[in-house]
Amino acid sequence: MTDASAYSNTVKWEKTISDVNDEILVNLRNPHPSFYLAFSVAAAALLLGIGFVAAHTILGLGLWNFAPPLYWAVDITNFVFWVGIGHAGTLISAILFLFRAKWRNTVNRSAEAMTIFAVMCAAVFPLIHMGRMWVGAYWALPLPNTNNLWVNFRSPLVWDVFAISTYFTVSLLFWYMGLVPDLATIRDRSKGFKRLVYGFMSFGWRGTVKQWYHYEAGYGFLAALATPLVLSVHSVVSWDFAMSIQPGWHTTIFPPYFVAGAILSGCAMVYTLLIPVRKMFRLEKYILPEHLEACIKLTLLTSTIVFYAYAVEFFVAWYSGNVYEWALFEKRATGPYSFYFWTMVFCNCIFPLAWWSKRIRNNIPVSFVIAVLVNVGMWFERYNIIVSSLAEDFLPGSWGHFEPGLWEIVITIGSFGLFFVFFLLFCKFFPIISLSEIKLIMPKPMSRGHGGAHGGTPSHAKGH
Amino acid sequence: MTINNHETGKQGVAFEMDERGPVIFGPVDGPLERPAEKMVEGALYMETEEVMPELAARQSPEDQKDEARKALSMNLDRRDFLKLFGATAVASSAACVRRPAEKAIPYVNQPVDFVPGVANYYATTCGDCAAGCGLLVKTKEGRPVKIEGNPAHPISLGGTCTLGQAGLQGLYHLERRKGPAIKRANRTDALAWDDVYELLAKEFAGKKVGILTGGSTGHRHQFYREWLRATGGSESRLYTYEPNALYSTIAQAHAIAFGVEAMPRVDFRSVKTVVGIGSDFLDVGTSPVFLSKGFSDARNLDNGAMVRLVQFESAMTATGGRADDRHVIPPNSELLTTLALMRSLAERPEAKGTANVKAIAKKILAANSAALATAEGLGVSKAVFDQLAADMLKGGSLLLAGGSHSFDENATALQVAAIVVNELVGAYGSGLQLDRGWMVAPVKPGDMKRFAQEAAGLDALLIIDTNPAFTLPASFGFADLVKKIPLVVSMQTQPVETDDLASFVLPLNHYLESWGDEQPAAGFWSARQPSVLATTDSRQAEDALLWIAAHMKKSMPYSDYRAYLREKWKSLQASFGPKGDFDVFMERVLQKGFVGELANRGSGSLRDAATGAVKASGLLDSGTLRLLAPLDIRLHDGRGANKPVLQETGDAMTTITWDTWVAMNPGTAKKLGLRRNDVLRLETDAGKIEVALYPLPGVHPDAVIVHRGNGHPAHVSKISGANGVDPLSLFARKVDAATGMPVTSGATVKVASTGKVFQLAAMQKHNDLANRHDIVKKLGVAAVSEKVAARAGKVRSGETIRSLDDVPDLYPNLYKDSEYRWGLSVDLTKCTGCGACQVACAQENNIPAVGREQVNLGREMHWIRLDRYFEGDTDNPQVSIQPMMCQQCSHAPCEAVCPVYATTHDPDGINSMTYNRCIGTRYCANACPYKVRRFNWWTHRWNTIGDRLQDRNIRALNPDVTVRTRGVMEKCNFCFQRVRDAKHTAKSEGRKVFDKEIKVACEQVCPSDAIVFGNLKDPGSRVSQMRADVRAYLALGGDPEKNEFGLKTLPNVSYLAQVSHREGFGKGDEGHDTHAKGEHGGHGERT
Repeated sequence: MTDASAYSNTVKWEKTISDVNDEILVNLRNPHPSFYLAFSVAAAALLLGIGFVAAHTILGLGLWNFAPPLYWAVDITNFVFWVGIGHAGTLISAILFLFRAKWRNTVNRSAEAMTIFAVMCAAVFPLIHMGRMWVGAYWALPLPNTNNLWVNFRSPLVWDVFAISTYFTVSLLFWYMGLVPDLATIRDRSKGFKRLVYGFMSFGWRGTVKQWYHYEAGYGFLAALATPLVLSVHSVVSWDFAMSIQPGWHTTIFPPYFVAGAILSGCAMVYTLLIPVRKMFRLEKYILPEHLEACIKLTLLTSTIVFYAYAVEFFVAWYSGNVYEWALFEKRATGPYSFYFWTMVFCNCIFPLAWWSKRIRNNIPVSFVIAVLVNVGMWFERYNIIVSSLAEDFLPGSWGHFEPGLWEIVITIGSFGLFFVFFLLFCKFFPIISLSEIKLIMPKPMSRGHGGAHGGTPSHAKGH
Repeated sequence: MTINNHETGKQGVAFEMDERGPVIFGPVDGPLERPAEKMVEGALYMETEEVMPELAARQSPEDQKDEARKALSMNLDRRDFLKLFGATAVASSAACVRRPAEKAIPYVNQPVDFVPGVANYYATTCGDCAAGCGLLVKTKEGRPVKIEGNPAHPISLGGTCTLGQAGLQGLYHLERRKGPAIKRANRTDALAWDDVYELLAKEFAGKKVGILTGGSTGHRHQFYREWLRATGGSESRLYTYEPNALYSTIAQAHAIAFGVEAMPRVDFRSVKTVVGIGSDFLDVGTSPVFLSKGFSDARNLDNGAMVRLVQFESAMTATGGRADDRHVIPPNSELLTTLALMRSLAERPEAKGTANVKAIAKKILAANSAALATAEGLGVSKAVFDQLAADMLKGGSLLLAGGSHSFDENATALQVAAIVVNELVGAYGSGLQLDRGWMVAPVKPGDMKRFAQEAAGLDALLIIDTNPAFTLPASFGFADLVKKIPLVVSMQTQPVETDDLASFVLPLNHYLESWGDEQPAAGFWSARQPSVLATTDSRQAEDALLWIAAHMKKSMPYSDYRAYLREKWKSLQASFGPKGDFDVFMERVLQKGFVGELANRGSGSLRDAATGAVKASGLLDSGTLRLLAPLDIRLHDGRGANKPVLQETGDAMTTITWDTWVAMNPGTAKKLGLRRNDVLRLETDAGKIEVALYPLPGVHPDAVIVHRGNGHPAHVSKISGANGVDPLSLFARKVDAATGMPVTSGATVKVASTGKVFQLAAMQKHNDLANRHDIVKKLGVAAVSEKVAARAGKVRSGETIRSLDDVPDLYPNLYKDSEYRWGLSVDLTKCTGCGACQVACAQENNIPAVGREQVNLGREMHWIRLDRYFEGDTDNPQVSIQPMMCQQCSHAPCEAVCPVYATTHDPDGINSMTYNRCIGTRYCANACPYKVRRFNWWTHRWNTIGDRLQDRNIRALNPDVTVRTRGVMEKCNFCFQRVRDAKHTAKSEGRKVFDKEIKVACEQVCPSDAIVFGNLKDPGSRVSQMRADVRAYLALGGDPEKNEFGLKTLPNVSYLAQVSHREGFGKGDEGHDTHAKGEHGGHGERT
C-alpha cells in the first residue's frame, strides 16, 4: 500500500475533474490510427458473417458441416462461449460493486459493454442454428400463435430463452444507467447535432442531488438484481446439456463448473480487451497495473476451480463404473478429439498457473498472451463438451466424426466481427471508463495529502 | 382389397362424363341432395320441419308462422337462427346417412368402384426379377403408391425383396422414354407406334428374326415362340438370358443329373442342418423372398430346434452373416469344398441314397482324387467335414451350393456335385423338392451358348427387357455379335446400355402397367395385371409384336396379349380351376393374384451322366488375389441402379451407398499397406479399373470382391451415371461350358494403390460393439434352453416373472387408461440386413434420398437404420445386424427437451412428431440415446438430389404422409397413418383393432419376418408374446436380471437376442472382453 499511496499522492493527485474528463474522453475526438485499422478488420469479419447468415437463411442449414450424430457443434459452441464471455461484465460491475471492490471502477464500464455485446453475439447463434428461424424466433417465446400452444416449460431451451433475455435486459439497464451521468458530461462538452444526440441519450440528467440520490438507489438495486443472474444464467445454459442423458453431458457438476468457466473466460476477455484499449486511448494513467493484476487474480481463481471441475468430471466418470460415461471420457483424452481436449487443459489450467508468480502477473505482454490462450481454451472447452460427447455416445452404429468446415469458421469469425464492431463503436462514442465513478472516488482537493475519504485514488482499489 | 363392384343401388346414380372424368356421382332422389339452383319462394326453413317432423311438433303452428314471417323479413333473432341452423345441420347430416356409399369413377378404361381417399389394392406379380413374387399394389386415386407382398402368395408370403420394393421408382422414373425412337446415322428421331409397326413389319418380312429376352416362367416365352413361328421364323431363335447364372446352372445340373431342367424347391422346415457352399440364398439367390421366408421360419426358436446354417464362402455375404458356423475358403474352391464334403459323406456307412448314388459319388471322388489331394489347403480340416457329414446325416439336411460370388467355369459342375451330396444326405424329397412343385427355371440353360453361336446368322434381333450390353462382360463379345446383325430393336422399360446398339428403341410398359403371368413353381400360376394405365407412350412388348405380325399380314388370332393370356388361362381353368364361367374364374384369380395346383412328376433317379460332369481342378495358388464380382443385394445386376432409393440403401455388410467398393480382407489390406477409402487400381489381363477400398472382415485373404450393379455410363441415367465402376470389364472371355454363361469370378487380379483417396459413402462409421453389452444381446442355443427351463421352474414354483416393463418407475401407471399400447419387436436372429425395410419405409413415409455427398456427412434420412456389428476374429467375425428405428420410449428423453411440444407422447405409446410445430433446435436428436431422429438439413425437392440427380417422381408420394420441409425433425412413428386407418375402421365397426390388422411398412416387407408390430395391451398379441420371451430385452435397458435397468427409457420396441449354434456364442457378453478391434474398429474412420 505504501508504494501505491505514494504513487497516487504524487502522480494522480495532480488531476482535476476536468483532467479526468479530457483524458478519458479523448476517444471521442481523435482515436489512435490503430482504432481505424481494428474497426475495418472487425467490420469485414462482420460482413462475412452477415453473408453467411444470409446464405444460410436462403439455402438452408445444410451449409454447416456438422451432421448426425452431432446435431449441435460450432453453433452452440459459439453460443455458450459468448454467453460465458458475457459473465465477467456483470460480475465485475454488480458483485464487485456490492462488495465495494474499488478496482472495478476503472474497468467496469468496458466490462459491462463487453457483456452486452457478448450476449448479443450469443443470441445470434440459437437463432440462426434453428431450422426455420423465422418461425423459431417467435414460437420459442410464450406468445400467442397459430398452434395455440405455449412453450414446453420442461425444456431447458425455454429456460434458456428466459435466462438470456432477462440477463440481457438487466445488464443493459445496469450498463445504461451507469452511462447516464457520463453521457450528460459529454453532452455538456459537445455542440450541435452531437449535443442533441447525447442530450437525448442522457435523459435530461442535470446532476442534481435528487437525481444522484435516485441514481445511487437504483444502481444498487440493479446490482442486487443482477447478482443472482450472474450465477443463474450459466447454470441454465449448463442445463441445456445436463438435462439430457447424453454421456459427458448428464452430470450435476455442470452448473458451478459452467459458472466458473464463464467467469474465467469473461475475466480473461476483459484483460484481453483492456490491454489494447488502454494503449489505443492512452488510458494507462487510469487503468493501472494494479487493476489488471486484480483481474488476473480473479481469472486465476476461476481457473483453479475449472481445473478441479475437469478432474472431478473424470473421477466421477471412472468411479461411476458406467461404461458409456467412462468410454467417452477416455476417448476425450486419447481419441480423435484429444487435441481439443489437451488444448483446453493446457490453456485453461496449466498456462494460468504461471500467474501464481507475481512477476508474471505484472508482466503485461506475457499475461496478455496467457489471457488470450485462456479464451482459446474456453472456446475449446465448449467445443469439447459438445462435439466429443455427441460424436460417440451410446450406440457405436450411430457414431460419427466432426471437424469444423469452412462455414463453421466463417460464422465464428463473423461473430467476433459482430462483437468487435460493437465494442469499437462503444470505444469511439462512449466513455470507456466511468467518469462519474472515477470522480466519486477521487480524493477531494481539500483533503489533499490525507489519502482521501473515499479510499483514495483508483490505485487504492488493488488492496480490496 | 376393394373388389370392383358395379352395383349402383336402387336409387339411381347420375353419372355423367366429360373429357376430364366423372361430373356428378351422387344419387338424385332426396330433396336436400341437390343444391338449390334458384331461390325458392316462401319460408326458407320450412322444409327442415318437413324432414324433421319432431322438430315441428314441438312448435305450435302459430309459432311456425311466426318463424316463417320472421325468416322472410330476415328478422330472425339470434336464438331462433341458431335453433334453425342447428336443425338444418342435423337434417342434412341425417339425410347423408341415407345416401348409398358407392361412388364410381373410371380407371384403367373401366368404371371401378372408388372412394376418394380409400386405397384400392391390385394383386399382381413382381416383374423386377424372375422369382415371380406375388404383390399387392396399393393405389390411391388411380396412382400406385406402394408395393406390398401378397400375404396369401406362397412365393412372397407378404414380403418383397429390396429390389422389388423399389418397383414404384421404376414405374414413375423420370427418365423413362417418352415414345419410340429410330436411330439413323448420327441422329435419333421420334416415331409414332404405327410407323414402328409398319417399318418393322417391312424389315422382318422373310428375314431370320431372333428374340433375346429376360427370364420368365410364365407364358411370355411361349408367346414369343408362337410369334416367331407365326411370322415365319423358327421357334429356336428365342434366346433367354438372365444375368443371375444360378438359374441356368442349377437347371442345367438337374438336367444332367435327373433329366429335368428345373430347380428344386427348398423347404428348410424339414431339415436340421443347412449347408451353404458359396451360396447366397439370403442375398440374391434364386428366389430371395421365398428362401428368406422359409429360412426364417426354420430359424424360429418356437418351432423347437432352430435350423443350423453352416456356410463355406470366400466372400462375406449376408447369408454368411447369418451362419452359425462359417468357414472361410479360398476363392473358387467351392467345388473342391463340395467334393471334400462328399468324400466325408461317402465314407460314412449311414450315408443315404441308393447304391447307384453311392457308386456315382465314389466314381466322382475317384475321378477327382488328384484335386481332392489339395483339399488340405482349403483351410478347413477334414475333421470339420467329417463332423459336418455326421451332423448332416443325423437329422435332415440339405446343401445349397453356388451363388454369384462363385460363378466360375465349374459352376454347373458345382451344382452337379451338390446334387450328389444332397442325394447322399437324402435331401431330395424332404428339404429339396424336385418331384412336386419344383421351381421352374426362368431361362433355358444353354441359350447363351446358342446365342453366341447363332447370333451372327440373324437378320434381326429383338432385345426385350434385358440389358446384356451391361450385364455381360465386355469380353463376352455381345456388342460385336450384335453389330453384325443388320437390325436390332431394343425394347426396354428404362433407358439401358443395350439401346446404344439398337436402331429401334421402343419403350415398354412397366410391369405395373402390363398383363402377364408367371409360374414360379411348376403348376402354380401367378397372374400379373396392370394397376395403372401406361404413364408414358409405351406399349407392352407382346402387344407390339402382335401389331407387327398384323402389319406383316401374318396375324396371330389375338387382339392383344391379354386375349392371348385368357386363352392360356382357359386351359389352366380346365386343368385345375373351379368349373364354370371363365370370366368369374379370371376375376377371382385377379383378385387373389394366383391359382394353381403343384405339379407332380415321378422322382427320377440320379443318372450316370453326373459322373462326367464333375471335373475339379486342384486348389489354386494361395496368395494370388482373385477377383469375385457378385450381384449386388440391392442393385442386382445393375437393374436397380437407376433407383435412388436403392442406391441410398446401404449394402448389408459395408453399409456403403451410391458407390462401388472393393472389399478385401483387412489383413491383406494391411499387408499391402492399404487403408480404407484408398483408391486401388485393379488390373487383370482383360482390363483395369480404379475403385476405393473397404477392408471387410470375414473375406478370404485371397479374395478381392467388387460388386456388380454400378458403373453405368452417364447417358443411361442421371442416378447411376456417376456412381462406381463395373467390375465385369476385368474378366477375360471364359464361359461355363455347360451353360455358356460367362465367368464372373476368379480372375487373377493385381492390386496397386493409386495414391488417391475416395470417401466411400458408408453409413456406418464404427464397426464393433465397443464392449457394450445392452445393445445387441447374444445367446447360445444352450443358454436359451437354460433360460426357458429357469422360467418354467419359476412358473411352477409360482414366482412372478419379471416383465421388461417392470422397471422401478416414478410413473407406475403408464398407459393405464388406453386401449392400445403399440409396440414392435425385432428378432435379431432373423434379420439378414437386406435393407428391404429401409426401402419400404422410404416409400411409405416419403423419405427422400439425399445423395452421396450428404450420406457422407451422415445426413441420410432413413428412419430405420441397420446397425451392423462385427465381433471376434477379423478373418471370420460374428455378424450382428440390428434394425434401429425410433424406440418409442415410454420415458422419451426427446420429449422433455423440445421447447415447442413438437414431439409428444400419444396415449397409445407412440412418440409422435408434429412437423409443423418443429422449429429445428435439434435438441431432441441430441437427447436421443439411440440417435434415430433425422433432421431435414435442406428442403429435399422431389425429382432432384442436390443439383445433379433426381429422386423419385412426385406422383409416387404417399398421399397419407406429409412431406417435410427443411428445418424439421422427423423419425419413425410406427407408420402412424396405418395405425390411424385401422383404428378408424375398427371404431366404425365397433370393435378393437385385432392383431395383425396393422402391419407397419417395415414389418410388412420383411422377407425374414424379423419385425412384428402390435398391441402390447393385448397379452395374446404376437408382439406381447415376443416382449415376454426369454430372449427379449430393451436396447440400452441394462440387464434386468441383475437389477440393472440401463437408461430406463422403457422403449416400446423390444429386441429378441441373437441366437446361434456357434460355439461360444454370446459368451463375450459375460465380461469385458478385449477382442481384436484394431482393423475394423477405430474412431469414425474418415480418411
